[in-house]
Amino acid sequence: MTAVPALSMTGISKAFPGVRALDDVDFECLPGEVHAICGENGAGKSTLMKILGGSYKPDAGAIHLAGKAVQFTHPRQAAEAGIAIIHQELSLLPHRTVEENIFMGHELARRGILDKVAMRERAAELLRRVGAQIDPQAPVSSLSIALQQVVEIAKALLLDARILVMDEPTAALDERDSRTLLKLVDGLRGEGVSIVYISHRMPEVTAIADRITILKDGRKIWTRPRDAAPISEIVRAMVGRDLKDFYPAVPVSPADEVLLAIEGGMNAGLRDVAFNVRAGEILGVAGLEDSGKGALAQALVGDVPFTSGTVALRGQPIALRTPRQATAAGIGYLPGDRKREGLALRQSVRDNALLTLRSMTGLFTRPQRGALAHDAMDERLRAMDVRAADFGQEVGTLSGGNQQKAIIVRWLAQASDILVFVEPTRGIDIAAKAAIYETMRAFTGSGRGIVVVSSDMPELIGIADRVLVMHQGRISGVVRRGASEEDIMHLALGLADAPSAEAGA
Amino acid sequence: MTTVPQSSPSRRQAARITVNSGLVIFVALYAVIAFLQPNYLEPGLFMNFLRRAAPLVILSCGQLYVILTGGFDLSMGAVATLVVLAASILINGDPETTWAVIGALYAMGIAVGLVNGLVVAFLKVPSIIATLGTMLLVNGLALAWSGGAARGDLPDNFRNLGRLVWRNVPVIGTLPLAALVLTGFVALAWFGLNATVYGKRALAVGDNPRAAELAGTPVAATRILAFVVSAVSAATAGILLGGFSGVSVNAGEGLELQAIAACVIGGAQLLGGRGSVWSAVFGALSLFALFTLLNLLGLPQALRDSIQGLILIAAVGASMWGNRRRT
Repeated sequence: MTAVPALSMTGISKAFPGVRALDDVDFECLPGEVHAICGENGAGKSTLMKILGGSYKPDAGAIHLAGKAVQFTHPRQAAEAGIAIIHQELSLLPHRTVEENIFMGHELARRGILDKVAMRERAAELLRRVGAQIDPQAPVSSLSIALQQVVEIAKALLLDARILVMDEPTAALDERDSRTLLKLVDGLRGEGVSIVYISHRMPEVTAIADRITILKDGRKIWTRPRDAAPISEIVRAMVGRDLKDFYPAVPVSPADEVLLAIEGGMNAGLRDVAFNVRAGEILGVAGLEDSGKGALAQALVGDVPFTSGTVALRGQPIALRTPRQATAAGIGYLPGDRKREGLALRQSVRDNALLTLRSMTGLFTRPQRGALAHDAMDERLRAMDVRAADFGQEVGTLSGGNQQKAIIVRWLAQASDILVFVEPTRGIDIAAKAAIYETMRAFTGSGRGIVVVSSDMPELIGIADRVLVMHQGRISGVVRRGASEEDIMHLALGLADAPSAEAGA
Repeated sequence: MTTVPQSSPSRRQAARITVNSGLVIFVALYAVIAFLQPNYLEPGLFMNFLRRAAPLVILSCGQLYVILTGGFDLSMGAVATLVVLAASILINGDPETTWAVIGALYAMGIAVGLVNGLVVAFLKVPSIIATLGTMLLVNGLALAWSGGAARGDLPDNFRNLGRLVWRNVPVIGTLPLAALVLTGFVALAWFGLNATVYGKRALAVGDNPRAAELAGTPVAATRILAFVVSAVSAATAGILLGGFSGVSVNAGEGLELQAIAACVIGGAQLLGGRGSVWSAVFGALSLFALFTLLNLLGLPQALRDSIQGLILIAAVGASMWGNRRRT
């Protein structure tokens, strides 16, 4: 192919105070090509895309669109030049309809009056083009995250975007929705749209990308066609080392003592849930979106409690009506949305890690004594390898992996018996992932238990001793270590009775 | 991005500067006052300045508790008015009852604080609306109870709390009782935020109530306690105001907004998550120094409000601007 690249960025450099975010990076994308960018968090992917989108000005380097040099000083200019960026966090207005969102800022008007009929037709046409059956008049809040993403893409197509940047588009999607999205990406490629695809999910990258570029510490490591880039090579280039022991070894002694027992757990999202967590066990929970796997986690931590059923910890019945009760009972929670539910972003790393200890102690406890002392907590943070220049800095300035570790430290300090993890490694880099898996094993190694809810099936298969699979609020089956993704998918889709019908209780 | 050590000292420095912005402004304003009226540098006049500033500083400390947890307390001024009017009615010229009445005044204040806190924490009414409601309610009750006009006198032992000044004190010359009350209250407020775990809980609740709740923080109790502290500070300020200026139906008018403005000038962040006792103390002293300065310059009283409005906008604008530049 000797086509003129739709996008070419050459020699891009960008420094922030104290950080060299990008150093002489070249990147190009041909028309009708899906070009994936991989790299750990902090490798410079987002910075590169923010420069492309006109949010940042590069210190050096040039951007050419279809051979023409461009310079953006405002995101609007980039949008007008045909660049659309779909962020991980969607930018739709939830209470407006799909068509209003698609036309937001670009409403069609006739003689100064909104032309609703034309907008509706155009919206329907765009939605057809992306192969989605969405009512243009439905409010966005009524759509699943997957469909909202499709609306974002339709919005980009309205502006006739020639370059579509997708930043972790599948991070919030389950397996089935991810496949649908990938199909859509494939279709857009067929129409000649250039797609820059950023993802941490390796199987996805190698399935969809024509070429793959690896960034590490602000530098480009290499760009290769897909066939020359097996996953192992990508991972090695990203982290600079092999990750042979990505998932920690399984302990030899089988778990037996029952730690947590749930019987007949019911609420609006759960139907007759019964299972055990054994001492030393990592129990995975799989399922599609809205299968009840999120509701199960929320019930276990008292956020959206069970309305009936019994919960017993080490044989003692416990009440889990509020998160505070769950915390007092020894159940800790790592929420799926760490920014909204996990962290007080403007408080320091240390304060976030100390939050639970401070919350559960008496009101008049001196904050500087014993386990509450800064030194004691700093020790724990260092042991967890939370990387911050200073634990007094705002936790919001850390990378996702380090933020996640800080929340885990919070619960380790509280000496919880059971940890409920929801999407523990979503959007974090591979090295931090490995560290978190290691911590999970060490935690259960001391006779405690973990319930891990995840949409990432390889993760569940790799880390969990057993996996509960949920479908429509029920546990549709339990699979043991060594099961395949197909086994889990089968149960998640509600297609079969539990094949390895091991009693969950 | 990759963590690079050298980026953090500048950030830490920036934080230190924001914490002390109130102090900087106060020193600057007081310097101007002293330039115009050199005798403001004498200990006696400075003590008098502190005495008159005491109610605002105390109110600001209380307001700060609520601001840290992410709310506003608009009912403080009304509580202060209620305290002044109730004191004159209940004491009714009998100095013997003063101390019992002061106890009753605090009980009223705490009751208002509890109502505010319970409404905000359990009915989930935004605090700005809930306390606007109690403000109208308390103001109306106080006026109805007093018959719409101030009546009665406060006995000397009550008024002394705001008025009494000891003379011939070594080193500082004069010492107003109100300055002691001020110091005591600030020390208590500091103790609550820094020497107990409450302060960090309040900051976490103000920053992200959802995350705090999921981490086990008693969010409702934290909020309610903040409103109670705020109401106690309003009662204290009301007692001092009664001492200064006697009984008046608008003793506390507008104080709630001054207290909010003071916290913001001192660097506390509206909607929670950032601020310290020093934001409240130095913010309040700055605001009071500004009022003093405007008096010295001979500006009409009415312009105070306009200037206060301007300052509030400028202070919030500056902190937003600073935030945006940092990200």
